[in-house]
Amino acid sequence: MNQHILILVLNGLTQGALFFVLGSGLTLAFGLMRIVNMSHGAFYLLGGYMGLTVLRLTGNWTVALVAAGLSIALLGLLVERGLLARIRAGGDLSQTLLTIALSMIIADMALAVWGGHTQSIRSPAALSGPVTVFGFTYPGFRYVLMAISAAIAFGLWLLLYRTRFGIAVRASVDDRETVSALGVRIDIIYSLMFMLSAFLSGIAGVLGGTYLQLSPGEDTTILTYSLVVVIVGGLGSLMGVVVSSLILGQILSFSLAFAPQMSMFLVFVPMAIVLAVRPEGLFGRRL
Amino acid sequence: MTGTLLQGSSLRRLRLVVAIAVVVALVTLPAYGGQYTLTTFIRTFYFGFLALSVGLLLGQGGMISLTQTAFFGISGYVVGLLGAERGFPFPLPELAGLALVAVVALLFALVVMRTHGIVFLMLTLALGQICWSFARQNTSLLHGWAGIPDIQPPSIFGVDLTQNANFYWMSLALFSLGLLFLWRLVQSPFGLALNGIRESPRRMSALGYPVFWLRVAVFVIAAIYAGVGGILAAWSSGIVTPTALQLSRMIWILLIVILGGSQYFWGPVVGAVIAVWLDVIVSQLTPRYNTVIGIVFVVVILLAPNGILGVWERITAKRRALRQVPAAPPDSNQ
Amino acid sequence: MKYKATRTTLAPLVVAAGIIAMPMGASAADEIKIGMLSAFTGTFASFGQLQKEGAVMALEEWNYKVAGKTIKVIYADDQLDNELAVTKAKQLVEQDKVDVVTGLVSGDEGLSVASYMKGKDIPIVPMYSASEDSTMRKWYPFVVRPTWTGAQPMDVFGYWLSKVKGLKKIYMIGEDYSYPYNQAGGFKRGFLRGGGVEVTTVWHPVPTSDYSSIISSIPLDKKYDAVLYNGAGSDAVAFVKQYVEFGMQSKIPLLGQSNTFEKPDLDSMPQQIVGAYSAHLTADDMNTPNWNKFRDAFQKRWQHSPSAASEFAYGSMELILRAIKARNGDVTDKAALAAAMHKVDLSDEPRGPVALDEYNAAIENVYIREVAVGSDGVMYNKGLFTAKNVNQFGPYDSKIYMKQPSDGPSSPPDLRADMPREMLEVAKDYEFVPFGK
Repeated sequence: MNQHILILVLNGLTQGALFFVLGSGLTLAFGLMRIVNMSHGAFYLLGGYMGLTVLRLTGNWTVALVAAGLSIALLGLLVERGLLARIRAGGDLSQTLLTIALSMIIADMALAVWGGHTQSIRSPAALSGPVTVFGFTYPGFRYVLMAISAAIAFGLWLLLYRTRFGIAVRASVDDRETVSALGVRIDIIYSLMFMLSAFLSGIAGVLGGTYLQLSPGEDTTILTYSLVVVIVGGLGSLMGVVVSSLILGQILSFSLAFAPQMSMFLVFVPMAIVLAVRPEGLFGRRL
Repeated sequence: MTGTLLQGSSLRRLRLVVAIAVVVALVTLPAYGGQYTLTTFIRTFYFGFLALSVGLLLGQGGMISLTQTAFFGISGYVVGLLGAERGFPFPLPELAGLALVAVVALLFALVVMRTHGIVFLMLTLALGQICWSFARQNTSLLHGWAGIPDIQPPSIFGVDLTQNANFYWMSLALFSLGLLFLWRLVQSPFGLALNGIRESPRRMSALGYPVFWLRVAVFVIAAIYAGVGGILAAWSSGIVTPTALQLSRMIWILLIVILGGSQYFWGPVVGAVIAVWLDVIVSQLTPRYNTVIGIVFVVVILLAPNGILGVWERITAKRRALRQVPAAPPDSNQ
Repeated sequence: MKYKATRTTLAPLVVAAGIIAMPMGASAADEIKIGMLSAFTGTFASFGQLQKEGAVMALEEWNYKVAGKTIKVIYADDQLDNELAVTKAKQLVEQDKVDVVTGLVSGDEGLSVASYMKGKDIPIVPMYSASEDSTMRKWYPFVVRPTWTGAQPMDVFGYWLSKVKGLKKIYMIGEDYSYPYNQAGGFKRGFLRGGGVEVTTVWHPVPTSDYSSIISSIPLDKKYDAVLYNGAGSDAVAFVKQYVEFGMQSKIPLLGQSNTFEKPDLDSMPQQIVGAYSAHLTADDMNTPNWNKFRDAFQKRWQHSPSAASEFAYGSMELILRAIKARNGDVTDKAALAAAMHKVDLSDEPRGPVALDEYNAAIENVYIREVAVGSDGVMYNKGLFTAKNVNQFGPYDSKIYMKQPSDGPSSPPDLRADMPREMLEVAKDYEFVPFGK
């Protein structure tokens, strides 16, 4: 029985790891640019499909992971420069709406190119075997996923708190005008941040496509979970995403085990409670 | 010169003629329109109610609510549960549905009206998703994914609404009434106060307006509009499913309002007509209709952020300027 | 920005444009229209694709011409959503004025459309929608289903597992909607009748992507003989993959419902599941002249092997076209067209001979299959046994059967002890002949 609980906790951690990769990109872009990228789920799905194709061509999972991340980052750059930057004056709402319309297009094009059948990315053989620790077995790839997610968290922390880029980003979040006045090209910061966010969603697509599966409709499911993570954590807060993805992963894992017919409901209720008590989210600043 | 002919009162007269012609065309539609034309207009009406609901909050109150489809669904489900399943006669299920919508909207409003902007948006998203996931996962009462089938529109004063034409006239009348009421509302002191709150809540508060309660009131009114749309939808399609509450539908309605022009009273109506019509036509032309519709939305958001009515206003304003009319007619802007 | 409550000329103009732009269903006299309603986008787009491939093959064999009339197919995308299905059915009926409605993937979708179509007097031929009530408790003579009900193969499967394989207790995990309910219903009836004791059922929302917690909650200490996954499509791929990853396959054997191991989903599953049993109305290694002809033609046209969904679509379209031919291209009398459909000879159906019962439901062979690996290293469903001429009521008397409540999440009961006696004893039960005999 204790082992059962332990496995459920690990399952929750795996889910949480994926949620973190998804949520971190979304929240960072929001913190800086004040837009909620509603194409995040479509980026995820497209990233997964790109990874699938690259894996078929090269046979190398790591190459597929990086290629998917980079191709979605490039897409992010095009979207940011070509579309979002043009209507920045129109405010947050029109940019958010634009990403919604964009997600319709991306998801439909993915269906046209990769078809409607369920596909999944084969995990690298060296990483996918069951690993036995302390007498119980758990799929090896899930440990890998958790490790990658932790590495990304550390990398993001370094980037934000130990680099000039990070200083510029954090300063822009606090006071855009002053930073611009100091000669920092804020539009370049925006583009880089949106690319980073897209890169993370592309990577998440490969991770999710490997341990779960890829099929049409997955974009909406993933977008919904990403939004929950980001909202509960507090829009714009990296720490918030760490905490909320851990919490959400556990809720999902335990509700699927003990009340599968209520699982989705049980995910949204805590979100509403958090928001009712603290509308800005657990770690958000007052907006 | 036509330029002079179309000025001032002549222009107003032309507008009146066009409006009357369209009203006549709409009322007599069952005489010459096909069955599916009627069905599509009925759909426009019930989505129109939902769009008015979103438009009222957005245009008048400056609030983007993602909960409106929940109200659309709640009233539909009550009609299904009490009417189709338990056999209560009209108008009990319908009134019960609207009452429940009002109560839920009031409760939600008490929570969400303490917030603004993106937090408001996200909070309403959360509440909407709770309602949706409940409908989706509750099998004992709401039958989960399957929803509640076999809903029949009633007979009202001996008029059998199962007849498509009768149903069309009823929804046309109801929608007109809804528009009329809304028109009066936005021009009433209540509407003007809302406008003021959107521009500057602090000033309105200082002037002694109960800002919080005014916003709660408009939220409940908007919810009831969505609820009326939900009843029409349940009657018309004969089934209510979790789709009625789905986020994708909510977003679709939001895009409709933007498409028409969220700053305009007529924006949601224009948007609903165009979007429903676009959906019907394009989905028959190509299986990639989602791409086409997505592109249309992208183009509108990029090039016409004030929607189609915004473009129209720009065009007419330019034409007027070219004709060197000394002052813009008073009705072009308020 | 100010809110503009102004009068505008554009609003009425747009409404007027809407009136003018509505397409009218133009109908040519020498044209017969078939409306095909299926999921071409969304989560279930895979099914629409498979159905279309089967239907198009039948149409191409007839060259889109029957008795001098041109066949026009109108595809309508309902995303497998019940409400959208009704909306699209309205389009097919009111605007396109179709003569036959076909397609339909899921059980609820089929029931919703049939409910709307009742009184419209247009024949409906469900291709894959398997809710038994469409041809039972809610049947009307315009519904013709030459394919299946959810319970039909599963009753056979459950009976075989308990009677022949001696299994007593099953742990079933299923998708929470009507088609899996009907499959579970058939399975429970057959399994408990054949001597099984218990079928525990757990339902999960559709879609779910991470099953690890559901899988790790399977009680290994309660002596279940097998786990039956009662789901299909992307859910099945995810479930089966994670079941193997968690090493469950070596602890407790996995069974599937009819669609769990169907191609092309099977291609995305790990090879550790070789040996898993399921029951369906097709098997990938059938070797009859009719099947081989169909399979080769399908392979040639679409470059992959057919699945049950494609075969069902092919057979259903065949039935429609043959009935139109029997009516000599005259489809004005829809009741006569439906009656002609009932009489169509389907003894050459690729998956085996099909006949229709008094409710226009199929009487056909059910195949017990296991997942195997071919010489090319690709997995397929290998036939083991055949139960011949199974009808939708299985071995039961139709009146006793229809007296029971419709299948739902908790009906029929999980335990043999709670099952009504009349459902445990039948006059004559299935006989299993080795596959291919």
